[in-house]
Amino acid sequence: MKQIAFLSVLAAGAVLLPLVIGENPYVIGILISMLMMAALSSAWNILGGYAGQYSFGHAAYFGAGAYTTMILVTLYNLNPLFCIAVGIVVASIIALITGSIVFRLRGHYFGLASIAVAEVVRLSVLNFNFTGGAQGILLTDVALWNLDLNSKIPFYYGMLLVLVVTLSITAYLRRSKTGYYLQAIREDQDAAASLGINIYFYKNKALLLSAALTSVLGSLYGLYIRFIDTSAVLDLRLSIEIILTAIIGGVGTLWGPVIGALLLVPLAEMLRSNLIGDMLIKAGLVSETSGVGLFLKGSLANAHVLVYGIITVLCILYLPKGILGLFRRKK
Amino acid sequence: MSFLQPLISGILTGGVYALAGIGMSLVFGVMNISNFAHGDLMMLGMYLAFFAFTLLHIDPYISLVLIIPISFFFGYMMERIFINKVIHHPHQNQILLTIGLGLIMSNTALLAFTSDPKILTTTYSSSAFNPFGDVSVSVPLLLSFLITCAITIILYFFLSKTSTGMALRATSQNREAAQLMGINVAKMSAIAFGIGTALAATAGALIAPTYYIHPLAGHTFLLKAFTICVLGGLGSVVGAGVGGIIIGVVEAMSSTYLSSDWKDVIVFVIFLAVLLLRPQGLFGKKGGQ
Repeated sequence: MKQIAFLSVLAAGAVLLPLVIGENPYVIGILISMLMMAALSSAWNILGGYAGQYSFGHAAYFGAGAYTTMILVTLYNLNPLFCIAVGIVVASIIALITGSIVFRLRGHYFGLASIAVAEVVRLSVLNFNFTGGAQGILLTDVALWNLDLNSKIPFYYGMLLVLVVTLSITAYLRRSKTGYYLQAIREDQDAAASLGINIYFYKNKALLLSAALTSVLGSLYGLYIRFIDTSAVLDLRLSIEIILTAIIGGVGTLWGPVIGALLLVPLAEMLRSNLIGDMLIKAGLVSETSGVGLFLKGSLANAHVLVYGIITVLCILYLPKGILGLFRRKK
Repeated sequence: MSFLQPLISGILTGGVYALAGIGMSLVFGVMNISNFAHGDLMMLGMYLAFFAFTLLHIDPYISLVLIIPISFFFGYMMERIFINKVIHHPHQNQILLTIGLGLIMSNTALLAFTSDPKILTTTYSSSAFNPFGDVSVSVPLLLSFLITCAITIILYFFLSKTSTGMALRATSQNREAAQLMGINVAKMSAIAFGIGTALAATAGALIAPTYYIHPLAGHTFLLKAFTICVLGGLGSVVGAGVGGIIIGVVEAMSSTYLSSDWKDVIVFVIFLAVLLLRPQGLFGKKGGQ
């Protein structure tokens, strides 16, 4: 009961939040990024956390959704919802091909193969003409019903919806036969197989689900930003960001990815907008014209990936079960 | 253009790739860790060669005398401080740790050296000679290849004749058994990682005169090194050598006969095909996956 009440308050809060903060595009933008990263990481978590199959190439599905939708909308001006559906199909096809290759493999090979598939997708998109190549795709106008798609609000609710759906699927999976099978595969693949679980089928099922949700987020991202290129939607760095978010919160937990996104996205934003450097200068700790001040102003904005690297290393060494792992009872 | 041209330049470039692949394979064999920081270690080698050349005016090939011990020590310490903490962790944690270390290295380089690519131009950078008719052989590539061969031969004798080398191979074959025989496997891991780092940095220094030197250059080479290792069989040093040459030739052939834009795609398709058809690699043991 308590849980349901808590969740209702949380959901109501998330739905009403844009009304409270009004049309502040900057804040809404950060909230959208948080919701997107939370949903991406939760979708990855279905495969990585529950089935134990760490995909290092989830950017491929995100990019598949983003590119399919952007190409169809810009060229044929189709209904965006239809394009999102086509994006799911394309991502699922890539997922099936990936699954048929990578799920025969284990350990090191699985991780390497997932990267290789994502790289083949990225380089192909970069080299084909219909994908815009290195220039990317720019979307000038898009319409759906009477929604004002120039505003960020519809995308806030879109991302929120996908996050809620992803979390609901995860919550349901945890207590379903499929979920138990996936966890059995994660704990011991051979034991699971010897109990008659078709590990190949269930791994592919988890991958398909994960890829489909990821592609929807990619489509929404494309429509929201209205510009995509391979470095934004298909880069290995995106795949790593997704995993890192889940790790920091807690892999294989329902809320871990959400907590990870709540922490990481604002941190990245603070670094990107150079908030920390400005704060140090304003507080009088560093003089603006000194060497350190110039360095902070000039370079620290580029340092967010460096900070991600440091967080990854610290997290793996000292907090491998994530923040939620701290609160879990030891077995 | 004759068929010999891409074949020869492919073999020469492949030799340097092989060096990077051997380093990664050695680390994998001894420690059972996929080192995702390998490409960034190569990038460090490139910058070491660049600064040795611009600041100390040492020829990039001669600077190897400095680069090899420095990078060995760097790798040795990196293993002692970070990598050995996760040696009994699941694979994914090891991968993420090395990814994190790689990100730290490449982005520190980005902050320190900016994203402008650097070019190391020696007097012989663009010189070439024509041994057989219209085939031209680039002098820096040939020098790199010869140095690669020399280093590989030294490494071969080190691994097969010295007691440390034999201990490394024993650890690679069976960690537990090696430990029972009194081999200090923790030390062997650090040495293997040091050698792996030194080989990566050497490969980086060797290609520095013919490539753009950039903080994010490691990314491309990392995936190439993996392809080479998987092609040769993860953990097989000989396989990595042959794999490197194959990848070099495939790249050169596909740039000549298809287009240079697609050469990386072809390399990755080969990588996936090997995983699908022969996951133990060309020289790996069966059932090794």
